[in-house]
Amino acid sequence: MIKSLSIQLVNSLIGLAILIAFFLLGSWLHRLGVPIPGGVLGLILFFLALQVGIVKLGWVERMAGLLLRHMVLLFVPLTVGLMELGALLSKQALAITASLVVSSVAVLLTTGLLGKWLLPAHPAAANAETKASQ
Amino acid sequence: MSFALLIRHPVFSIAFTVLTYALATVLHRRWRWIPPIVVACLPIMALLLLVREPYEEYNRGGNFLTWLLGPATVALAVPMYRHGVALRRSLPVLALIVLAGSVVGMTTAGLTAWLLGAPLPVVMSTIPKSVTTPIAIEVCRELKGIPQITIALVILAGVLGASFGVPLLRLAGVREDRAIGAAIGTSSHGVGTASLVHHSEMQAAVSSWAMAAAGVFTSLLAALLKLFLR
Repeated sequence: MIKSLSIQLVNSLIGLAILIAFFLLGSWLHRLGVPIPGGVLGLILFFLALQVGIVKLGWVERMAGLLLRHMVLLFVPLTVGLMELGALLSKQALAITASLVVSSVAVLLTTGLLGKWLLPAHPAAANAETKASQ
Repeated sequence: MSFALLIRHPVFSIAFTVLTYALATVLHRRWRWIPPIVVACLPIMALLLLVREPYEEYNRGGNFLTWLLGPATVALAVPMYRHGVALRRSLPVLALIVLAGSVVGMTTAGLTAWLLGAPLPVVMSTIPKSVTTPIAIEVCRELKGIPQITIALVILAGVLGASFGVPLLRLAGVREDRAIGAAIGTSSHGVGTASLVHHSEMQAAVSSWAMAAAGVFTSLLAALLKLFLR
C-alpha cells in the first residue's frame, strides 16, 4: 500500500518535472525572441514530443490530469487581484459586457455553423445512414 | 507573532487559497450552479479587507500558484494528443473551423470594446477572452492589456458558453456532435468543455481538442497582431 503510494507519488513528480521542463524551454525560446507565449511554445513542443514518441503519455498523464482538473485553483490569486480594479471595471462595464456577449455569440455561431456545413460525415454516423437506407 | 505577520507569510497565503478552493469544490459538487472561482476568491478578499493587508502581500505566495499555470498550459497537449488520434479524419476541417472561430472571436471582442470607447489596454484585454485562462493571460500580457480584466472575461465567457451555448447552437440548427464540441471548446474553453462531459463523450473530446487548438491559434494570431500594430 505504502509502496504503491510512493510509486504513484514519484510518477506524479516525474510528470511535473517533465511539464516544468517544457514550460521552461518554451519560456527560454520566448525570451530569445519567438513571439509566442512561453507556455504555448511549451505546449507545442510537448505535443510534438508526444507525437514523435520521445515522451510517453504514461509518464505525464497523472500529473497533467491533476493540473487540468484543478486549474481553477491556479487562477484564484489573479482573480483576487480584481478587488484592486473595481473603479476601472465599473467605468468600462458597458464596453466589457457588450464585447463579451457579442463575441461569445459570434464565436459559437461561426464555429458551429461552419462545422455543420464542412465536417466530413462521421464514420459511425455514415454507417448508421447506410444501415438505415438498406 | 501577530496575525498580520502570519498572513504575510507566503506559505499561509498558499495554504489559505488551497483551503478556500477545497471548500468551493465541495459546495460546487452539492450545488452545481455555484461557480467555484467566486466561492474560492470571496473569503480571501474578505480576509484582506478585514485585516487591511494589501493585495501584494497576499500575492507573494499567490504568485507561486500563478506560476504553475505555465506547466498547466503545457499539460493541455495531453487531451490534444489523446483526442487527436481518435479525430484524425476530421482534423484538417476541425482545425480550419477553430481557426475561423478564433479570428472572429478576437476581432468582434476587440472591435465591440473599441467602438464603445474603451481605452486601448481594455480593448486588448478583451481580445483573448475565449481561450483557456493561462493562455489568455499570456496573450493579454503580450498585447499590453490588463490581466485581471481578461481573467474576469474568460471566466464569464466560460459560464455563458456552458449555460447558453448548446441551446443557441440548437436554435441555429447545429446538432452534430463534433460541430457542437468545436463551437463550445472554441468559445468557452475548459468551463464549456466540462459542461459537455455529461452530454456526450464525442462532444467533450472535440471540445477539449478545440480549446487547446484555439489557445495555440489565438496566441499565433496575437503575435501577428502585435507585429501589425508596431
